[in-house]
Amino acid sequence: MPRDVEVVSPRAGLVRGLLGGWAALVYVFLFAPIVLLVAFSFNANKYGTFPFTGWTTQWYGEVFGNYQIKDALTTTLKVAVEVTVLSTVVGTAAAFPLVRSRLPFRSGVRIGMTLPIMIPGLLIGVSLLILFTSVFHFQLSPQTAVIGQAVYTTPFVLLLVAARLQGFDPALERAASDLGANTYKRLRYVVLPLIAPAVFAGALLAFTLSLDEFIITLFLIGGHNTLPIYIYTQVKFGITPEVNALASLLLAASLVLIGLAFAVPVAARKARQSLRLRRA
Amino acid sequence: MAEAAAPAPPAQPVETRSAAGRGLGAGLGQYAGFLPALVLYGVFFLVPLALIVAYSFWQTVDYNVVHDWTLDNYRYFFSVPTYARTLWATIWVSLAATALTIGIAFPFAYWLVRYVPKRLQGLLLVLVILPFWTSYLLRVYSWLNILGPEGAINRFLQWIGLTDHPISFFLYDRPAVILVLVYLYFPFAALTLYASLQRFDWDQFKAAMDLGAPPRTAIRKILLPQMKPGIVTAVIFVFIPILGEYLAPQLVGGARGVMIGNLIVNFFSGAQYTRGAAAALLIAALIVVLLVIFRRSLEVKDPYAT
Repeated sequence: MPRDVEVVSPRAGLVRGLLGGWAALVYVFLFAPIVLLVAFSFNANKYGTFPFTGWTTQWYGEVFGNYQIKDALTTTLKVAVEVTVLSTVVGTAAAFPLVRSRLPFRSGVRIGMTLPIMIPGLLIGVSLLILFTSVFHFQLSPQTAVIGQAVYTTPFVLLLVAARLQGFDPALERAASDLGANTYKRLRYVVLPLIAPAVFAGALLAFTLSLDEFIITLFLIGGHNTLPIYIYTQVKFGITPEVNALASLLLAASLVLIGLAFAVPVAARKARQSLRLRRA
Repeated sequence: MAEAAAPAPPAQPVETRSAAGRGLGAGLGQYAGFLPALVLYGVFFLVPLALIVAYSFWQTVDYNVVHDWTLDNYRYFFSVPTYARTLWATIWVSLAATALTIGIAFPFAYWLVRYVPKRLQGLLLVLVILPFWTSYLLRVYSWLNILGPEGAINRFLQWIGLTDHPISFFLYDRPAVILVLVYLYFPFAALTLYASLQRFDWDQFKAAMDLGAPPRTAIRKILLPQMKPGIVTAVIFVFIPILGEYLAPQLVGGARGVMIGNLIVNFFSGAQYTRGAAAALLIAALIVVLLVIFRRSLEVKDPYAT
C-alpha cells in the first residue's frame, strides 16, 4: 500500500537505498558481537581475540572438565526449575481474575503487576537484600535468589496466559457447564487444555530468563554461583577463550529455549486446526 | 449459570465476560487466583520497595540501623563531589544513549514498514529481538572482546594499518558505555517504533504529498505528530532501565564510565545499606519524574478491558 507513494518523489530510489544500507548496518551492529564471541570460542589464540591462529574445540573440552562450571550449572538449573514452577503457578493463577473478574482499576492493577519488568533489576535486588538480611535475617542462598528471580519472571507468564485467556470463547465454558460440568471439570477438561500452550510458553520463558538473570541473582545468591555469576567473576581476571566457549554454550541454550517458547503455541494451534479440518 | 446465559446476548462482550467470571466461583472467589500473586508481589516486591524508602531516611550508627528519620543519607550523597558528579553523568549518559537509540531505531523501523514486503517484516523483526532474548550478561560480555586496547576493533584497525595506536573511542570509557547501552536497548526502541509506524494511516501521508508537500514536510507535519505516543513509549522503555544500569559501566566503562548503579552496588557490598538506599531512591525518583512528565502522551493500552 505505501509502495505507490514513492512514484511521487523523484529521489525515492536514493532514500530507499540509504535506508536499506542503514538497516544492513543495524543488523551488523546487532549480530557482530555475538558472531565474534562464538568465532573466538573456536580460535586457538589463547588470548580470546584477533588474530585467528587456528581452529580448535579445546576450550569447549576445558569447559566440560571444569568442576566450578559443573557446580554453577547445577545451581543454575536448580534455581531455574524452582523459578519456573513458582512463577508459572503464580502467574497462571493471577491471569484468571485479571481477565475475568469485575476488577476495579483493572488497568492500574495490570500495570502494577508488570512493574517488576519495568523498573531496573538493581532496585529489586537491593530492596530484597535489605528484606532478607535485615528484616528476616535469612542466610542468602539459592532459595533467596529463586524468590528474587520469580518476582521478575512472573509478570511474563502472567501476560502470556492472560492474552490467551482473553482470546478464547467464553461460550465454550458455558456449554460445558450446561452439559453438567462442575468448576473442577470445566477447569480440567476445557480451560486448561485451551491455555496449555500459553502456560507452557510462559514456563519456558521463565526458565530462560532465570538461566540468564544476572543482577538480582548477584545480590541474593550469597556464596553460590550461577553460570552468569561465574562468568562475571571470571571476567574480572580478563577474557579467556574458555569463558568465550561457556558463553557460546549459554547463548545457544537460550536461543533454543526461546525458539521453543515461540514455536510451541504456533504448532499447537496448527495441530488443533488440522484436527478440526479432519473432523469436519 | 442459567441466569447468566439467558439475559445476556452473546454479542455483548461485557456481559459474557462477567458471566464467565461467575463461572469460576462467584463473589470473592473470583479473586482467589490473585492470592499467590498477592503474597509474592506484596511481601517480596512492595514491602522491599517500602523498606528501601524507609532505609534511605534512617541512619547507620555503629553498623546498626537506627530508626531515626533524617535526610543525612541524601545530604551525604550530595556532599561528596564524586557522587554528585556521577549522578549528573548518569543522567547525561542515559539521555545520550536514549537519543542515539531512538535516532538509530527510527530510520530502521521506517525502512521496515515502508520498504519491506509484509511477509518479510515479521522475520526481520524477530531477528532484531533475538539478541534481546539471550543473556543480558553475555550481550555486555560480547563487547569486551571488541572494545578495549586489545579488542577486536583496535586490533583490526592496526592490523589493516589504518592506525598505529588504539583509537580512544573504542577504549573502556564513557563512549564505550553509551555504545553498549545503545546495543542493549535497541530492540525495545525498534519494536515500539515499528508498532507505532505500522498503525499509522499511510493514506494521510499520500494525501499530504498529493497536496504538494515534499516528503520531508509530510514526515514532519503528518507522521511525527501522530507518532508521538510511540516515541514517548520508546523513550521510557529505554531510559528507565539505563538509569539503573550496573553491568555495562562496570565492564566497559573503565574508571571514568561509572554510573549511579555502580555506586549503589558499592554501598551495598560495603554494608552501607542506608546510604545505598538513598542512592537507589534517587533513581526511583528520576523514574517517577519522567513518568509524570510523560504521563499524558504515554501509550497505555488495556488489552484485557473491553
